[in-house]
Amino acid sequence: MSKTVRIEPDVQFVKELQEVGGEDLKKCYQCATCSVACPMAPADNPYPRKEMIWAQWGLKDKLLNDIDIWLCHNCGTCSDLCPRGAKPGDLLAALRNMTYRKLVPPAIIGEWMSSPKHLPMLVGIPAVVFGIIWMIRASMVGSFFPVTEDGRIIYGNLFPGDFTIDPVFGLTAIFVLICFLVGIRNLIQGFQTTVKDTFVIGYKKPSIKEAIVDAIKYEVLQHTRFKECIDEPADEERVKGHLLLFYGFVACFIVTSIVAVAHWGGKIIPFLAPIGHTPMPLWSPVKILANVGAVLLLVGLTLLTRRRLNLDRRKSRSNYYDWYLLGVIWAVTLTGIGSEVFRLAGVAPVAFFTYYLHLISIFMLIAYLPWSKLGHLVYRTTALIYARYVGRLPIGEKLIEDEKVFVI
Amino acid sequence: MAEKIGVYFDEASLGGALDLAALMDGVRAKWGATCPVVKSHPQLASDAGRAMIQADIDAGTIDGVCICGPSPRVDWDIYRFQGAQVERVNLREQCVLCYRDPDGVPGGDGTSPELLQKMAMDYVNMGVVKLQKSTPPGGGEIDVVRRVLVVGGGWTGLTAALDVAALGYDVILVEKQDYLGGAAAQMYKTIPLKPPYTKAEATGIEKKIAAVQENEKIQVLLNAQLVSLAGAPGQYTATIAVAGEERNEEIGSVVLATGWTPLDGSYLKPLGYGRLKNVVTAWEFESMAKAKAIVRKSDGAKPKKVLFVLGFGEMLAPFAQKEQEEAEAAAKAAQTKEADDTPKTNFVKQLTYKHLPFTSELTSLTALKQAGYVREQLPESAAIIVYEHMMVPGINELYYKAAQNDPGVMMTKGVVREVRDGGDGDVVVVLEDTLLGAKVEIEADMVVVPTGMVPTTALDPVLNLKYRQGPAFPDLQLFSGYADSNYICFPYETRRTGIYAAGAVRQPMGLALAETDAAGAALKAVQCLESANRGMAVHPRSGDLSFPKFNLLRCTQCKRCTEECPFGALDEDEKGNPMPNTSRCRRCGTCMGACPERVISFDNYNIDQIGSMIKQIEVPDDMAVGGPRFLILACENDAYPALDIAALQGKPWSPYVRIIPVRCLGSVNTIWIADAMSKGTDGCLLLGCKYGEDYQCHFVKGSELCNRRMANIGETLGKLGIETERVQQLQVAIDDYAIVPQLIDTFVNDIIKLGPNPFKGY
Repeated sequence: MSKTVRIEPDVQFVKELQEVGGEDLKKCYQCATCSVACPMAPADNPYPRKEMIWAQWGLKDKLLNDIDIWLCHNCGTCSDLCPRGAKPGDLLAALRNMTYRKLVPPAIIGEWMSSPKHLPMLVGIPAVVFGIIWMIRASMVGSFFPVTEDGRIIYGNLFPGDFTIDPVFGLTAIFVLICFLVGIRNLIQGFQTTVKDTFVIGYKKPSIKEAIVDAIKYEVLQHTRFKECIDEPADEERVKGHLLLFYGFVACFIVTSIVAVAHWGGKIIPFLAPIGHTPMPLWSPVKILANVGAVLLLVGLTLLTRRRLNLDRRKSRSNYYDWYLLGVIWAVTLTGIGSEVFRLAGVAPVAFFTYYLHLISIFMLIAYLPWSKLGHLVYRTTALIYARYVGRLPIGEKLIEDEKVFVI
Repeated sequence: MAEKIGVYFDEASLGGALDLAALMDGVRAKWGATCPVVKSHPQLASDAGRAMIQADIDAGTIDGVCICGPSPRVDWDIYRFQGAQVERVNLREQCVLCYRDPDGVPGGDGTSPELLQKMAMDYVNMGVVKLQKSTPPGGGEIDVVRRVLVVGGGWTGLTAALDVAALGYDVILVEKQDYLGGAAAQMYKTIPLKPPYTKAEATGIEKKIAAVQENEKIQVLLNAQLVSLAGAPGQYTATIAVAGEERNEEIGSVVLATGWTPLDGSYLKPLGYGRLKNVVTAWEFESMAKAKAIVRKSDGAKPKKVLFVLGFGEMLAPFAQKEQEEAEAAAKAAQTKEADDTPKTNFVKQLTYKHLPFTSELTSLTALKQAGYVREQLPESAAIIVYEHMMVPGINELYYKAAQNDPGVMMTKGVVREVRDGGDGDVVVVLEDTLLGAKVEIEADMVVVPTGMVPTTALDPVLNLKYRQGPAFPDLQLFSGYADSNYICFPYETRRTGIYAAGAVRQPMGLALAETDAAGAALKAVQCLESANRGMAVHPRSGDLSFPKFNLLRCTQCKRCTEECPFGALDEDEKGNPMPNTSRCRRCGTCMGACPERVISFDNYNIDQIGSMIKQIEVPDDMAVGGPRFLILACENDAYPALDIAALQGKPWSPYVRIIPVRCLGSVNTIWIADAMSKGTDGCLLLGCKYGEDYQCHFVKGSELCNRRMANIGETLGKLGIETERVQQLQVAIDDYAIVPQLIDTFVNDIIKLGPNPFKGY
């Protein structure tokens, strides 16, 4: 502890943090009510008090490498109790936003994702790409809104998967995957500079595999710690909404995977092909799963959006990252359902246009994923695994039982 | 001297606890023609009761009124009569309500216990005697000069001058420099003075200067210095040197607003000042900001990071140790040459590091303000504040909040361990115990260290009083040189009546506080004039018309009174006779207590009077039969009210004590103790205020002097074979009412164990 650390205050970084959701961070006067009140913070070196002063001083390196911002699930108890209205909960959210913005190159995308003024650009890219495809295909099939002879609408006729949708999204997915790998590496390298291995008596250090299994089993699939982060009824709604949304996505992901595997697999193993043939009849189990997923998404979105709209602005404010993600998921969900409904209703122009919008919103969800709030899917999971691995979080279902954990 | 005294009992407040008929018979039997009227009334504190008394006065039957009822601290507005003196006998609180049987059982079965009856009789007799030995005070009126001298033309002095002028009095404003405005005129901005208290603002000193210059009642003397101040309130002569030429001005009272000077830089050396070029004091930084030139001394570059240090870690400890050693050496030296003549001056220079921590509140606020200067004049730069204690009391919390909100102002608590050269003119500050976690170091382009505010009175006598006790305020070392007082209720009161200190000379303070301070001092200065002309005391016995009279025929020129007067009221002629200055006097009676020849007296408070009262206490010859007797002399400012409150709250004490209020323990003459002991009283308890460094005595030195005198009387008692424990002094504050009965009982029980006073029965 006697080592002297040189501090480099950075006014610019303070301002940036204020822009991405931490506008009240300067109000903190370090009473530490937040760290005491937090139901999740570890007893040793708890958050978010320390993050508050780091933020006031603009101590970039400490903040961007801080693992604790991912241990927080933003229940807002700290912000509720803050005597100065400094909103520590919002600051941690802002720090996560800062990670979305800075962690992964190219920096320009992070920049675009940080402010609504760049939204036209973000919408524009997929709009142009799919617009051009639409033009070309329309000239090839001879109609902007082609229907089959028996009057059915098949989106694949206008946007065939093989050489329009799948290559675009496939390449995008690979790009995103690479970006995430870079992100995970950067994140862990950062954690290594700040998080010391914690030796805990009576506690066996887990293997990396145990840490991964544990994190996925409890944190991802059951939201175990997230459920602890409940302070008032609105928080329960938030956990419920998040779970529904999560499983809605899982359902949609399974459906998409089945379709993709069946379609491409069908080219090698022919009997698989029909399973992935779209559009599917409504009785198809895959279609049913897709529709169930859509309903889960709708309900989850409603719960989460309602909570955000009802937030007491003196206690906590939603930032652009929050609204961007909610907005895009709303767009994906509504255009997805719309595509199905208008297709079944046989209103070709509306159906095709809705499907076009659906493609744009899906692109916006996936292509910018490492720089959006949805990036927490990867970053938070990484942090939670790492925290278990180094002993910052306990293994197993037991959560924070301070009195049993001796930290040296 | 009241010769015909009416004794009146108030049945309402004595509530049947006493056998009033027996008491009245007792009075008639003892005093006969001296008390032509002895009456009781169902409710004396009423129009009917008053009318009854006034009728007796108007008929010429009586010239003294002795009211036996509640404490003199209540109903004093009711019991005032034309043409007669009034004495109040406190039979309610300090006789009936405080009464407890010696065995601890509260009073009897509706009949009045004998002991209680005896106590009441003693008190009534004392009241009668007191009136007999009292004459109506008065005759101290003087002609006063209705002009106030304001010393110092800074923010406080200007305000005081305007306030005094607004009340219709003339002012002479003396300023040492050739300009008005003082320190405020050197400042770029001030901490907020008005709502919402979030922004530094212009001081507005020019407006004050203009207002003073335009005011016809105010005469401004620049380049002027007070050479001396002679005389007394209402009739001072100020000798003022204006540009080297001396002149005399008649003035009535003084507002002292001479302000402060920056503490010597050597105390700041551990913080890098004087060692490193780019370490400047807050006062120097203020000038830079005013000139809009915040630059580094080393290279003239604009600093990117300016660090403000608030707090000193262990860095002042060597100074503290050195000062302690010097004080001890000085105390030793003083002991060895005790026989030395009285010192020629009472002024002791106060050079101390303590002026730094004493200025903490202001240095905190100044750092916030100056961090704002950095942000205003160098928008790209950061201001860093490292504090041990961020002191922003009261409304200034809003200013702190506002400063904190600036993204370019960074703050942390931390203890400065080291300030060293960082190369290229940079300064590295090493901090421990910070809110940032571990030990940290910060490299700054410029470091600003606090300026300690040294009061002008620490360095110079300032007023150069022509008083027998010396040119300066006495005992200023208690306040490290600040012309402050321990009176939380009377902050402007100095130890010299007629002189009222305000602003930074009294305490480090900002403009807002200095403004109210100036108003307070201005009002006091005017009150002083309007009291002196009526022959009244100004403070704390406001309105008291009595004053000490000296029978110089019997004076032996021992100089005790002139030396001991806490307020320097007495001068001396060449022979050493005291020369009273009534308007300087606060009527505490410390001179009366000091005088071994007992030549000093007040019309309504004197040696003979209290001595005679003591003689009225009936002391049984046999302690085993009639019980012991004890005399309590209680300070009427704190101890006496504490006793009243204790009684009212149902906390009784021994029935063997008799209480006599005194103006101050300083007025207690040892002859009273001798009187009491020689007639067989078993013990004397003196209840007075706390004395010493953090004294609470209303007359500053009274209780301390009394304690010294009692040590002397102890020796005498010892020689006579009387145990010294029989005379004790205890320190009682007004809020000690819960413990004061216990203090009395402990004293009484201890003395009972000693046995009876050997002088009993002589």
